[in-house]
Parts: sequence; structure tokens; C-alpha cells
Amino acid sequence: MAPRPPPSSHKPRNKRRHHLSISSPDFPLAAFLWPARTGVSSWILLPLILMAAGLFRWATSIWPYSGFQSPPMHGDFEAQRHWMEITTHLPISEWYFHDLQWWGLDYPPLTAYHSWLVGQIGNFIDGTWFTLYKSRGLDDPILKLYMRASVLVSEYLIYVPAIAVAARWFVRLEHVNFVEFAIALTAILMQPATILIDHGHFQYNTVMLGLAAATISSLMAGRVRWACVFFVGALGFKQMALFYAPAVFAYLLGSCITPKIDVVRLFTIALTTILSFGVLYAPLLLGSIRDAYRKIAIEEYQIPPLLASLPFDVDQQNMLHRPLIQLAQSIHRIFPFARGLFEDKVANFWCAIHTFHKLHQYSSSTVQRAALVATLFSITPPCLILLFKPKKDLVPLAFAATSWGFFLCSYQVHEKNVLLPLLPMTLILASQGGLLPPIRAWVGFANILACWTMYPLLRRDGLQLPYYVLTLLWAYLMGLPPTSLSTYFGTKEAAGGLTALLHLPFYAAMMAWHVANEFVAPPANKPDLWVVGNVLIGAAGFGLCYLWCLFSLAQKAGLLSWFKKETEKQKTL
Amino acid sequence: MATESGPYPSILQVAVVATALKVLLFPAYKSTDFEVHRNWLAITNSLPVKEWYYEKTSEWTLDYPPFFAYSEWILSQFANVADPLMVQVQNLNYSSWQTIYFQRTTVLLSELFLLFALNKFIQTSPVKSTAHAAAIAIFLSPGLFIIDHIHFQYNGFMYGILILSFAYAQRTQSLLASGLIFAALLCFKHIYLYLAPAYFIFLLRAYCLKPRSLFSIRWGNCIKLGSGIVAIFAAAFGPFALWGQMPQVLSRLFPFSRGLCHAYWAPNVWAMYSFADRVLLYAAPYLKLPVDASAVHSVTRGLVGDTAFAVLPEITPRMTFLLSIATQLPPLAYLFLYPSDANFLPAVTLTAYSSFLFGWHVHEKAILLVLIPFTLICLRDRRHFAAYLPLAVAGHVSLFPLLFTPQEWLGKIVYTLFWLIAVLYGFDQIAPASNRPRVFLLDRFSVLYTTIAIPLLIYTSVVHQLVFRDKFEFIPLMFTSTYCAIGVVGSWLGFLVVYFTS
Repeated sequence: MAPRPPPSSHKPRNKRRHHLSISSPDFPLAAFLWPARTGVSSWILLPLILMAAGLFRWATSIWPYSGFQSPPMHGDFEAQRHWMEITTHLPISEWYFHDLQWWGLDYPPLTAYHSWLVGQIGNFIDGTWFTLYKSRGLDDPILKLYMRASVLVSEYLIYVPAIAVAARWFVRLEHVNFVEFAIALTAILMQPATILIDHGHFQYNTVMLGLAAATISSLMAGRVRWACVFFVGALGFKQMALFYAPAVFAYLLGSCITPKIDVVRLFTIALTTILSFGVLYAPLLLGSIRDAYRKIAIEEYQIPPLLASLPFDVDQQNMLHRPLIQLAQSIHRIFPFARGLFEDKVANFWCAIHTFHKLHQYSSSTVQRAALVATLFSITPPCLILLFKPKKDLVPLAFAATSWGFFLCSYQVHEKNVLLPLLPMTLILASQGGLLPPIRAWVGFANILACWTMYPLLRRDGLQLPYYVLTLLWAYLMGLPPTSLSTYFGTKEAAGGLTALLHLPFYAAMMAWHVANEFVAPPANKPDLWVVGNVLIGAAGFGLCYLWCLFSLAQKAGLLSWFKKETEKQKTL
Repeated sequence: MATESGPYPSILQVAVVATALKVLLFPAYKSTDFEVHRNWLAITNSLPVKEWYYEKTSEWTLDYPPFFAYSEWILSQFANVADPLMVQVQNLNYSSWQTIYFQRTTVLLSELFLLFALNKFIQTSPVKSTAHAAAIAIFLSPGLFIIDHIHFQYNGFMYGILILSFAYAQRTQSLLASGLIFAALLCFKHIYLYLAPAYFIFLLRAYCLKPRSLFSIRWGNCIKLGSGIVAIFAAAFGPFALWGQMPQVLSRLFPFSRGLCHAYWAPNVWAMYSFADRVLLYAAPYLKLPVDASAVHSVTRGLVGDTAFAVLPEITPRMTFLLSIATQLPPLAYLFLYPSDANFLPAVTLTAYSSFLFGWHVHEKAILLVLIPFTLICLRDRRHFAAYLPLAVAGHVSLFPLLFTPQEWLGKIVYTLFWLIAVLYGFDQIAPASNRPRVFLLDRFSVLYTTIAIPLLIYTSVVHQLVFRDKFEFIPLMFTSTYCAIGVVGSWLGFLVVYFTS
């Protein structure tokens, strides 16, 4: 290399510059952004990162989606398309009642409004995409393109800015260098699981995840009322945001009692939340009143169980009858308590237990109660920490630990829900030292394992190749197995010892599983062997991730320093 | 961003990430060139060599030189394993997923050769850091991305051979290798004949004649070069010459029955000429110019193989040939007088410019012939870079009409924009200052020109559709190619000045 003169910095800098914690580009993603450390304008760097992330999303989107040309029911793509069909063609009071057998609406109202908006724009382009009844199972290539574009646009309007701002706040709290911010941001945006589910399988998770990220960044920025608004938005888009709810609650409550009890703050938080819910439900409820006024009847329906179980009857003629029915029906649709503990095979605690000890023998209320107890048990420690130490820099770890607890122990979990704990956990890359091997190894491990547990799902969608490409690419960029062992060995900062001992067997198992799944037929009496193996390994690994997040949270909260001092004292004695 | 300093990221790291993206594009749009290459796999696999250049079941007959056909034969041995139906001549437009995966994979693998050649080029370059940056820019080139990995061709491999030849040309002791590799390249794809004049002059002067005197011939070198070239051409064309098939082979390689401009005008002088003709057609009644009535129909349609001019004089192949040669002569004469390594690549670039700008029936894809050599030298100083800038914009924008499917629209725009911002910003950071004064107003022209691209792209991709729906399809294409032609011509003139004054 010919020595070059240092580039002259001709513009004055008024920003504080923090030192890089990584001393050399040890992993490829750092190498890509390494030239930027001499001071590239963020007006150049950020658009480039967003474009690169966008290119991989676009390239994934040309692959098939779930349920592509697979009658009779198709899949998630058809569900989303169908909601656009019913929201744009039916009166609002019918949305939660219309033909529930064919992908009846079972997401909260914000999803319905979003579907309505996307449907309206789509109707403007081509009216046949969302014709009532006639458009079911449509697979027009231009429709696919439109739907894919709607995911991309929603993501770039909500998720991407929210992630960038959240990472920026985190970086500011922890005094992290701008280049490391850029590296972490790229890593978060290139997360294979999110790309594969939203742009391959087809869903709008990133809208909910983006609102959740906005919640996190509002908490870190100290704007608690905005956090309430965003979190209600996240819940209103997808009920799965409940995974985060205990952490949000604990932090908000904690911030009202520490350092001193602040009743006004508590009151405004409560009021903001209630108002947000009101705004969320207002179109649905007001719309139903208007429909009642215009004598538009709901075609045929059963009284929602929630309303039926009320100890008193609401008179049909009562003004409140229609809104109450809407509310009860939407809640009934959103939280299907009647369904089982888990759908398909999902890498959580219950599914793993079920392998050895059949859970069907218990009544569903017993199992529900057990799930509730286990979930409470798993989320209590992180929530208690947050309650008594509501510090801003603890928020991502607490969110991660709580949502891991929920994912592992709660009820009605899908394999795709692993995206929820992944978001705050991956955000930790933007913390101080987040790119150093010890943290990078764990964040990477969680992401790779999560993708791997979704392989059976992606395989059904015909997305094997994108799965391999995106997952291996991310592993490569982050310097993780199976592409590299440099995170664990070789440098003085390497994760080493215990971490390697915990992770490497999992990586080996994942690779062996892929070989077996592809080339070895399972024994005749155990046709589900590989799927079950996937679940067991996944649940064990996610359990480790939960424990690590909890441990890191406790450590960051300073709870372990006392313990550490004690042991050091003992040693010196 | 990849390009501004040092060895990070390494070209291998860039290649891994780019390859990941390209693998994801397996199911993307593919042009008829995909079927062309499938047909060639079938021809070479299932027919005796004697019939290769006669077979015409498919309209996509074999029209590349024999080395390319030989490599298709090698590939077809594996294709036969991947999907035997792929290599049947009768199986027109066959595209099973195995066929797609196989053919796309061969493009990716053949690109490894480009990687190798670029590495070699960095090794033989005097300034490693700028060569590294240029190599990354070429590997990521939107031209190769669009043409090879979506549209479907093997340009990465071909340009790999060319760059390997450039790499050897940078060292006096390896000139022979450079010449022979170029000869082999001609036997792969004859479009590189466009560059042959520069090679001829350079090898003649720097290798076959003594440096001091024009009249003392190095006979040993002449014999080595001559016999080497003869051997290579014999290996390629020998069998066909023995069977007396040369006229048939040549008629396949050089189909002279085509028109001046390709269906979509390549951004060259003739695009501007055609545009001027279109404009004059409307002005003719006022200027009292004679109008060729038979050409008017073709003019209003705008998209035909044989371009006829309504007002301006017709152009003949001979005229285009003479113009190409005439504009090549000054830079070649300069190269003859000063045959240094440093002057060779600029001369190649200028030769390519002339052929592209004035040639007969030039494809828009041929812009790579100019872009790739120029990318290798544009970091010499800021004057070179200023001349390169409009070419980089125009050359890539002119490739957009190749992909017309809505699905690929976003990808081609974002990828090209990404490349332009990353590479041009990076280049701007590292291009050294020149010790000469800047070319009069060239840099201003570059900036102005680049900004015009934005409204143009918005018009061609969105506004035109909204206003005219499907009518006047030729207008966006005409605007694009005229705009790009101005850029290419502007950068050519600028570079000529830079070349003769450095």
C-alpha cells in the first residue's frame, strides 16, 4: 500500500466525536463502513445504507409469497389482500363480522385502517385486485408487485426511520462513535428474519415493529407520552406487541415512583394511553354508530362471547349496543382464547415439553393457567429491575428479556413472533461495545437461530434459497459461524470460553439438522422427527438468549457489582 | 463508500455481498438472450461441430466466435446433468427452474474470472489504492449487474479477459501475454474488434519496433507475437476453415443487413442525428426543406430496425466506418509517438469512444466498452474524473430501457443510484489534484448534466405514463438516448482535451 496523505478536513466540526471501540475492521460489515471513519457526511452514508438494505428487500420480494398458487386457502398474502377487499367494499361495522371462514379480520383496528388505505390506492390503480368475492386467491403479477411495494413503502415510512432514530438515541446515551452507529444500523436493517418474513413470506410486521421501536426511542429520549401513543399504535396494529407491554408498563410506572413519586406524571401517562386507545377505536365505533343510524345491519352474526358473558343484557335499541358489539367482537377476533396453546410447531417451552409429555391430557383452562404462571414467572425479574431502576439505557435489554419470556412461556405463539424479541436484542448492537465480540456473538446467535427455526415455514413458501442467502450473508457480514469463528477465537477481545462452549454446539446442530432434513428420511414411526428436533434445539437456544438478556440487564443495572465486589473481597482475603 | 481509502473493504468482501444479491435475482426478468444461450448449449451439446454454424431451428443462431462456442460446449456437459431437457435443440424457450438456476449460476461462476483479472490489475498498477477503488467500481458496475445478472449475458467473464490483458499491458515485460490474451478474447466475442486498432498500434510500436527508432524492427518479438496470434486463431477458426465453412461462419458473425440504429437508439452521434431529423420534420414546412415521404411513417413510429431519415441525408455503412477511423486516428497517432503504458489505456478508451459514437448498428450495451477502460483510468487525476463523470451517468442511464418490466424498475434505479453515489463520491474523495489547469468549464458541464438526469428519469418513468398512458412510447426512449448521447459526446470531447494535454 502506498502511503497516502490524510484527507484534509476542510469543514469545521462542531459535533463531539467519540472514539471507536473496535480497533480494526474484524468483521466484513465493519470493513465496508471502515472508509467512513474519516468523516463521511451522514447525508451520503445513510442514503447508501438505506438503498443497500432496500435492494436486498426488493430482491427478496421477487420470490414467491406464502400461499402462492396453493388453493383452497392460500396464505398470509391472501389474508392481507382479502382485508383490503373487505375494508374498501364493506361498511365499517361489517369488518369484524364478514365471512369469518375466509380469512376473517383478526388483527386490531390499525391494521384494518392500513388495509383500507392500501386498498383504496390499489383500487385507484386497478379495480379488479380487490373486487368483493371475485378477487379471492388472485395472483396477478402486478398485484403481487403492488402488495410487495406496499410492504416496502410502509416499512420505509415507519420501521426504518424508527429504527434509525432509536439507534441514534441509544448511541447518544452511550457515547458511541458515528461509524459504529452506521454499522449497527446496517446490521439491524439487514436482519434476515425480518426481511424473509415481511418481504418473502408476506406480512406487515415491520409496521408494528417500527411503532415498537418508536416506543423504545421515545422512552430513551424521555418522551414518555409519545411512548404511550406509539405503543398503543403498535398494539393497535398487531396484538403481539403485548410481548413488550409488561416492560413498557414497568418502565412507565417506575419512572413515576423513582426517584420520587410523581402523581401528575402517572396521571398524564394514563390519560394519554386512554386517549390513544380512544382515537384508535374511534373510527370503528363511530362508523358503527353511523351505520346503525343509516340502518345498515350486520348481515348475520352471533353475539360475541365477551358480550354474552356480561352479567347484564344490553338492549338492542340502546345507542351503545352497536359500539359495544363492535368492541366485543374485535376483541374476540383479536384474542382467540378458544384456540390451542400453540399452532404448528414453535420453538418455545410448551412445544418442547409437549414432545416428551403430552399436554392434551390437561384441560385447556389448566394449560392456560400454567402458561400464565410461567409467563409471569419469566417476565417478573426484568420488569422488577425496570420498575426499580427505570434507566433509559436499560430499556432495550429489558424489552428483549421480557419478550423472550413471553415468546417462550406464553400462549398462542407463532414461530414468526420471534421477530419481537429479536428487535430490541439486535438494537443492543448500537450500545457501547455492542459491536465487540461478546455482545455481537449473542445477538448474532439469536438472529441466526431465529431464522433457522423459521426454515420449515420458509420452505413451505418456496423460500429456501433466499433463506440460505440472506442468513449466510448476515452471518458473513457479522463474522459469525458458519462463515467465521473470529468472534469466538483469535483476538484478545474474542468472546471465547463459555460463550463458545454454549454457542458452537448449536451452530453444529443447526448445520447437521439441515443436512439431515435435506438428505435423510426420518424413521417411519417418527415422521416429524426433524421438525421436533428443530423445535427442541430452538427452544433451548432461545432459553439461553433469555437468560443472557436477563443477566446482561442485571449487570447493566448494577445489580451484579455488589456480588462481584463480594467475591473480589473474598479473593483478596 | 467502499472506495475511498485503503484495502477496506477487500474486493473479495465486495464480491461476496454482490454475489448474494445476484443469487437472489435468479427468478428476475430475463431477456431472449437467456434463450439464446440455452439454445447454444443445446446446439453444442447435441450436434457435431460441423453443424454448429449451420443449425437454425431456433431464430437465435450461433453468432459468436468459436471459443465462445467451445465454452458453451464445456458448460453443456454440466447442463446435461442439471436438466437433460435443457440441451435439446427442439426444446425452444425451455426454462425449468433447473435451467434458470444452472444458467444463472454459470454467469456467477464465470465472474470469478473477472475477480481474478481485477486482482491482477491491482497488482500491476503503479498506484494500488486507486486501482483498488476502480476494481471495486467495476465489479459492482450497474452495467454488468443489469446486463449479466438480470438481462442475461456473460460480459463479466469477457471483460475479465480484457482486463487481464490490460493488466499485462501495464508491464513492459508482459506485453506479449497482453496481446495474445486480447487475440483470444477476439475469438470469444468479436465486438472487441472495436478496440483492436489501439492494440495494433501499441503492440506494433512498443513491442515490435525498437523504442528509439521507428525503423529498426525487433524480429524476434514480431515472430513471437505473429505466431502466437496465428496459433490462437487457428485453434478457434482452424477446424471451420478446414471444412470450408469460413464464409458461413463469417456471415453469422457479421450480419450486414441491419440498420444504422438498433431498435432502441444507442446513445451515440446517430441518436442525436435521428433526433435532429425528427425535430426538422416538424420544422420542414416552415424552412421549406424537402421531406422524404416514405420515411415519414417510420419517423412517427420512431422504433424500427431500419431507420430512414425524412429530412437529413441518409447515412451509409461506409460513412460510419470512415468517421470512426478518422476520429480514431489522432489519438492513435499520439499513441504511436508516445507508446507508454500510461498512454495505452486512454488510447483504448478513445478508440472505443469512436467506434461507439460513429459505428453502424451499435447496441446500447456496447457502452461498457468505453465505461470499463475509462473506469480504470479515471482516478489518475481530477481532470480525468471530470471527463468520466458525465459518461458514468449517461452510460448507465442509457441501459435502463433494457429492463422494461415493472418488477425490475425499482431495482435497476436503486442499484444504479447506489453505485453512482458511492463510487462517484468515493472517487471524488481520492482523485488526486492535477498539475494542469482544469479543462474549460468541463466540470461545470458535468455537474449540470448530472442534475438534469433527475427530472429526465422522473419524466420517463412516471410522468409520461400518467400523461400519455401507452401512446408515444418512443418519446421517453428518444429523450433518454438523446440525453445520454449528449453526455457521452460531451465526455468524449472533454477526454480528448485531457488526453492531448497531459
